[in-house]
Amino acid sequence: MRSVRTLFVLGSSLGLVTMLACKKPEPTPEPPAPTVTKLEPPPPEVKTTPVDSTKPVDMSAAKYAEFQKAASAALKDINFDFDKSDIRDTDKPKLQAIASFMKSFASAHIMIEGHCDERGTVEYNLALGDRRAVAAQNYLSGLGVNRDRMGTISYGKEKLKVTGQNEESFLINRRDEFKLQN
Amino acid sequence: MRRTLKGILLLASALGFLGPWARAQSKPVSKVVPPKSGTQTEVTVDARQGKLGLGLPDPIVAGLDAASVTSNFTEVLRRDLEDAGPFALLKDKLPLSVAVATVKPWLDAGAEWVLALKVTKNGEAVTVALQVMDVKATTQGDGKQLRYAFSKNYTGNATLLRRIAHTLADDLVDRLTGDRGIANTRIVFVRQMAPGIKELFQVDRDGANPIEITRYGSLTLSPTVAPDGRLAYVTYKGGSPEIWGQRKPGGAHERLYPNAAAGTQGSCYAPVWSPDGKRLAFSQSDRRGNSDIMVLDSQSGRVRKLTDGGFINTSPSWNPAGTQIAFTSDREGGPQIYLMEEDGSNVRRLTLEGSYNESPAWSPNGAMIAYVSRFEGKFDLFIFKLGEGKAYQITTGVASSESPAWSPDERRLVFSSNRGGSMQIWTTDLSGNSVKRLNEFTLCQSAKWTRSR
Repeated sequence: MRSVRTLFVLGSSLGLVTMLACKKPEPTPEPPAPTVTKLEPPPPEVKTTPVDSTKPVDMSAAKYAEFQKAASAALKDINFDFDKSDIRDTDKPKLQAIASFMKSFASAHIMIEGHCDERGTVEYNLALGDRRAVAAQNYLSGLGVNRDRMGTISYGKEKLKVTGQNEESFLINRRDEFKLQN
Repeated sequence: MRRTLKGILLLASALGFLGPWARAQSKPVSKVVPPKSGTQTEVTVDARQGKLGLGLPDPIVAGLDAASVTSNFTEVLRRDLEDAGPFALLKDKLPLSVAVATVKPWLDAGAEWVLALKVTKNGEAVTVALQVMDVKATTQGDGKQLRYAFSKNYTGNATLLRRIAHTLADDLVDRLTGDRGIANTRIVFVRQMAPGIKELFQVDRDGANPIEITRYGSLTLSPTVAPDGRLAYVTYKGGSPEIWGQRKPGGAHERLYPNAAAGTQGSCYAPVWSPDGKRLAFSQSDRRGNSDIMVLDSQSGRVRKLTDGGFINTSPSWNPAGTQIAFTSDREGGPQIYLMEEDGSNVRRLTLEGSYNESPAWSPNGAMIAYVSRFEGKFDLFIFKLGEGKAYQITTGVASSESPAWSPDERRLVFSSNRGGSMQIWTTDLSGNSVKRLNEFTLCQSAKWTRSR
C-alpha cells in the first residue's frame, strides 16, 4: 500500500493527479466565527499543498513508469445522458480499461466522482451524481474489481469541467472522473 | 389615523387599478384577507394606486457627519420604504423642513405623512428621533400646532445606523398596515470564491452589509436558518459531504451529522430546519446511489429514515406546522414533488405537469409551495397553490431560475438565476413583474431569507 501512496504523491507532481488539493489537511479547523469581514478583494485562491518529490522506495523506476503510464491511459472520464445514470455503450470499453488497470495494479485504489452539467437544481444534481458514481462502481464490480478499492462521491454540478452553455459542454460535464487514491 | 390599506388595495384591484404592489397582493389569493367591516374610513383610488404619500425631508443631524448619515441612514430608509410597497415617496419640489409653515406645501405635494427625523450623536450613542407628522390632521387642526401619527426614538451606535433605518421602516409598515415588514431581514447564500471553493455569506435584504460566514476553503452548500438564527449546511471540508451547523444561537460551527448515533454512513445533502428549529430534515445517499429523506432530532441526536430506498429522495421542505414534508423523488421517472406526513406516511404526488419539478419551498403561511420546473428547456420558478390544486408560473424563460425561498412576509421569493450572465441572487414578487437583483456578487446560489440573523 505504501508504494501506491508514494506513487500518488509523485504522480501529482507530474500532473498525473490534479485533485490532490481536495485531500489536503483542512486549512481552517477552527469553527468559523460569524463576524463582519471585508469582502473585497476575495480571499486568495487556496494554496496548493507542497509536493513531496521523493522517489518511490519500494517500486522500481521501471515499475513506477509503467504504473504511471497505465493510470494515465486508463482513468478517462465517462459521460452520461441528461438526467441519466446508465452506462452508455460507448463508455464500456473505457470501464474495461479501468478494470484491467485495477487488476494489473492490485494495490491501486480509486475514487469515482459523479458530476452533472449546470442545468437542473443543486440538490437533485448531487443525488444524481451519486447515482452516476455508483453506476460505474457497479459496472467495475461486475468486471471483477473489488468494491473496497473504489470509493464514490458526488459533486453534483458544483465542479464543472468546462463552462460553455451548449450540448457539447453539457456532455463533457455530465461525467464520472476516476482519481487515484491513497 | 390608521388606514385600512388592505381594504383599499382590494378595492383598487377590483377596479382594475393594479399597481405593482397591488398585483403582488392580489395574485396569491390564499392570503388576501377581507377587510373588516366598519374599519374602512375612506377609499382613495388615485394616481398612487392606494399608496400613502410620504414625505422624507433630510434629517436634522447633530454630532455626526451629514454625508455619512445620508448614505448610511437616509438613503437606506428611503430604499426600504420604496421597496416596502404601501408608501409612495414624494420626490419633487418638496419643503425642506417639517414645520407649521410648511404644512400647506406638504399637503399640496400630496403628502399624508411626513417623517421628521433627528439624528444625534452623544458620546458613542446615536439616537434617531422619529416623528410622523399627519398632514391632514394638522391642516384640520388649529393651524398652530403639528399633529403626529406616530413618534418613536431609536438608539444604538454609529455602526447600527443601517439597522435602525431598517427597524424604523418596518415600524412604519406595521403602523400603516398592521403587517410585519421585511426591511430588517437578512439573506444567507452560497458564493463561489474559486473553482471548487464555495462559502456561506449573508447580506441585508437591500444587498448591503455583506458578512462572510464560513472560510473553509472547501465546497460548502445548501444553508438553512432556524427560527433562532442557527445555521446548518453541507460542507465537504472533511472530504465527503457532511452536515455542519450550530447547536446554539451564535454558537460554534460543528458537525451535526453523521454523529455518534449514526448507523450507516453516506453523503448528506439538503438540510432544512423544522419550523420549530428542533429537527433537521436532510437527504442521505446509500451504497446503491439512492438517497432517502432523514430527520435528525437535534436534542437526542437520533435520526429517522422517512422514505424507503430504491430512488432519489431529496430537497425536503417542512410545512409551517412541522407536520408534513414536501420533497423531490424520481420514483416515477424524472424528479417530481411529493408530500408526506412527518413520519413518512401518506406519500402523494403534488406536481403532475412537466418532466422535471424540484426544490419545493413551502410558504410561511402554508398555502403555497414554490418550486423549480423545467419548462420549454428552461428552469423557471412556479408556485403551487394548495387550496386550488393549481400551479402558476412566476419567472418566464429568460434564463435559468433556481432554488426559490420565501421572504418572511410571503410577498417575494429569493432565488438564483443567470439572467444577468453569471449566477446571482435575485428576488421577485409573486406576479413575476418585479424582479430585482440582490447585489453585484457573481457565482452565487441557494439563498435563504430570514428575520433571525
